[in-house]
Amino acid sequence: MPDRKQDRTGDAPHGKEMQCHEFDLLLTDAIDGVLTGVGLDRFQAHAQICKACGPLLAEAEAGHNWLKGLTEVEPPANLVVNILASTTGVDSQRLRTPAGVTQPGSSWLERLQASVLEPMWAMVRQPRFAMSFGMAFFALSVGLTVLGVKPADVEQISLRPAAIRHTYYNTQARVVRYYDNIHWVYEMQAAVRRVKRDVEPAEPGPVKQKSNKNDTTQQPEQKQERNYSQAESHLVLASAQGLSLDSRDLPVVSVTTYRRLV
Amino acid sequence: MEDVQVVAMLVRRCVAGDAAAWEEIVQTYNRRIYNICYRFAGSGSDAEDLTQEVFIKMYRTLSSYDPSKGAFVTWVTTITRNLLVDHFRKTKQDRVTDSMDTAASEHEDAQPLSEQIQDQSAPPDARVRQREVKEAVHTALGKLSPELREALILRDLQDMDYREIATVLRVPEGTVKSRINRGRAELARLLQRTYRQVM
Repeated sequence: MPDRKQDRTGDAPHGKEMQCHEFDLLLTDAIDGVLTGVGLDRFQAHAQICKACGPLLAEAEAGHNWLKGLTEVEPPANLVVNILASTTGVDSQRLRTPAGVTQPGSSWLERLQASVLEPMWAMVRQPRFAMSFGMAFFALSVGLTVLGVKPADVEQISLRPAAIRHTYYNTQARVVRYYDNIHWVYEMQAAVRRVKRDVEPAEPGPVKQKSNKNDTTQQPEQKQERNYSQAESHLVLASAQGLSLDSRDLPVVSVTTYRRLV
Repeated sequence: MEDVQVVAMLVRRCVAGDAAAWEEIVQTYNRRIYNICYRFAGSGSDAEDLTQEVFIKMYRTLSSYDPSKGAFVTWVTTITRNLLVDHFRKTKQDRVTDSMDTAASEHEDAQPLSEQIQDQSAPPDARVRQREVKEAVHTALGKLSPELREALILRDLQDMDYREIATVLRVPEGTVKSRINRGRAELARLLQRTYRQVM
């Protein structure tokens, strides 16, 4: 193949002659047939004298002609059905039968089913609708369970005005009874507590353990016990209820303490 | 050509959940998309799978289509082209333009393309010959580099104008024209040894 760069330099001795890059830009227009007049003349003139652009024009035209011979191919017959099944999940039976063919002997019920029910069912079967219905059903079932509604109760519901009125009074009576029962239970519990308090002797309340860590009032004694009472006997002052610290005749008790092994 | 308003309405209906509208879109564009995929991928089974993938992607992203930004067919073609490029990268079919004398593949008895075509010599029936010519052109198209091939498919097989092709390929219009010229020339060079009389 000739070098187009060499030709490009030697190809334009005159100002009006077309350059190779211009030729490139106009090549598609020339093949499409939209290049006319002086532009076409200059283009053809350049193609005749340029050793690179002339063959390029011929090859491009040939390639264009080759491709013109390629016709559209028929897609597979089940392509549309497969696409619809993979996108909407709908396997349209209507697409499987040729268009415009009416089924002989079809009843009005079948026609209604084909024209109304099937499209509706197809829409309902779409994933987004299925998800919405699922969520709504879940929310409803949870709500009814929380409210204590049983499916068996729903069957017995009557929508007659008298029945609705009856249900209203029944429900009201049930609520009042429920409240009264609760009130009675509370009264019984209070009475039982009162009796227990009266029967059982008074017990001293539990000694409150101070949980405050900053309170160190008990610690010196414990520390002393831990550090200095290593299996030795020493004197401990016993406290006596009702005696003041001023009394001098406190009993002396001998206590043996053991070191706590941790 | 598509009526912009009709297509926009169709898309709106489809986004709203109208299954019939989606079916209409599939019916209208499946042939076009299948042909682009077939010419680019080379095989019917690949084209069928790719067409389905294109429609699945379309179905998921249909709400993002903006009629003010361009024609629906351009949007559809852009999706198709992007998916084909992804498929090409995944399968790593690095089909740079081959010489007629290089071996096409191991499955074709390691014969060069020119010999494969010549082996099917002069069938008496003109229709058979015409079909073989088409197959040869299709095979030669598959030998082009992806950049040249996609430009040729969109221009010469799908009749898109240069501006639309530039939008789909995201390259300047001049680049599109240059690729088309080079692609046609390469294709002619691949076929000229066998079918000189057509040129």
